[in-house]
Amino acid sequence: MSNQRFRVNTPTVTHETIDGEAVIINLDSGNYYSLMEVASFIWGLVEKGASASEVQNLILQTYQGDATDIYRGVEELLAQLQQENLIVPVNGAGAFDLIQLNQELSSNNNHEKPSFNPPLLHKYADMQELLLLDPIHDVDDAGWPKPNPDPPK
Amino acid sequence: MPTSQVAPSDIPGKEQASRSAEYFQSVYELFKSSQQVTGPVHRSYNIGGYLIRLNFSGAALLSLTRALEHLAIDGHSTPDLTICLWDSESTGQPMAPRPWQEGDFLARGVIQGYNTERIYTAFQHGSAAVSVLDKERNLAIFWAPDPRVPYWEKGSPLRTILHWWLLSKGLQLVHAASVGNSTGGVLIGGKGGTGKSTTALACLESDLSYVGDDYTLLGLDSGPVVHSLYNSAKLNSDQLERFPALLPKIDNTEQLDEEKALLFVNEHYPSRVATRLPVRAILLPRVTGLAETRLKRVSVATALAALAPSTIFQLPRAGNEAFKFLATFARQLPCFSLEVGTDLSTIPPVIERLLAEIDSTSLPPEK
Repeated sequence: MSNQRFRVNTPTVTHETIDGEAVIINLDSGNYYSLMEVASFIWGLVEKGASASEVQNLILQTYQGDATDIYRGVEELLAQLQQENLIVPVNGAGAFDLIQLNQELSSNNNHEKPSFNPPLLHKYADMQELLLLDPIHDVDDAGWPKPNPDPPK
Repeated sequence: MPTSQVAPSDIPGKEQASRSAEYFQSVYELFKSSQQVTGPVHRSYNIGGYLIRLNFSGAALLSLTRALEHLAIDGHSTPDLTICLWDSESTGQPMAPRPWQEGDFLARGVIQGYNTERIYTAFQHGSAAVSVLDKERNLAIFWAPDPRVPYWEKGSPLRTILHWWLLSKGLQLVHAASVGNSTGGVLIGGKGGTGKSTTALACLESDLSYVGDDYTLLGLDSGPVVHSLYNSAKLNSDQLERFPALLPKIDNTEQLDEEKALLFVNEHYPSRVATRLPVRAILLPRVTGLAETRLKRVSVATALAALAPSTIFQLPRAGNEAFKFLATFARQLPCFSLEVGTDLSTIPPVIERLLAEIDSTSLPPEK
């Protein structure tokens, strides 16, 4: 995995993380997403500016699991997030403070490491129809589309 | 899919600002001409604590006010917002030819090139209505080609303009129902068909007050608050047989093969409509097929995912600001899945017990 960094694709994407669960909306596509547990943790790291390899190492440090599984899980989630246009690559070193984050993680590492489960991106496409443009079948002399008696989607 | 989000980077330069302001003014002049023919008709409403005056050209569009009548006031003072309403059919005043191209109709009705920080312009495809707001002048215009607006426009009139203007006052229109009592209310969220109306209407047979069944207004001034916006209720006709007491009160009985059943709660249960309640919990209805109604704790993020997309994707220009508002609102409340029973009489006691429990224990949001 690379030293590639990303940023959240604002303003197209808006997101909130509450109690370890991230809710993400793509305002252009109408899709929305949820990330839980390790996936939400990865989202937070990416948002803070961690590179792909930094994310992998931090997950390896924080969770108990096979390194290959962890590397693959992170890689696949980052690929999905890019594919859904939720994050975009950025150039440059970024301002990610790895040292501070390591300290934070160390202070929380008194407990046993949680098991690593592959991070999942839950995608919901049930709002897309609200964004579909109503076809303009008929216009009046001034160019105004005529009323459509069907209820709005 | 073209974006309907107006991002700060898209806020146009002087040319677009000037074109949008000129467009608003030209529509306003047409409204005034139409009113010279018909004469003015005024109605005033207290919406979320703001005096909003509807300034009609004649009486043809007054059918739009039934959903707002529970908020009617004698508004002699200066309004906070004035909305001018006219239609071409009854006034004989044509609308100006549309100045934009077909490709400028974006998702959610936003008109490309006619939206700025000051001027908001949207088209409603179903009713073919145009809504424009000049935020600086607190002046808006609603134009429809014909006064016979669709039933859903009568149920939630002026939704776009109210959403735009009220957001600038810290009030967020939300796709959610609400009921409650003297201890507070619950916000009932979720996309269409999840049971919001069924839950709200089932409570008409109880001691719980009705705030709204589809769109309500949220505030955060002194904790989470819900304001009633529309007293209308819409119900799928296949659900009507579950509410025999409501059948004679349905407004559009003749059109139920094509339309949802529309009911104006204020006209039949005026004492049951509450205009403002502190919100104590968020409920997400879910039909289970079981007879009894039950509550199950869910996370705040689950509630946000149920509330925000179905709100944002119905409202022109809604986006990040609305999402952040709803997140802030939801964070302050315990959230539950309301597993709606087939026996509708089991719904109100569950909500009443929850409100009583929260009132006595100050139940926090789920961690």
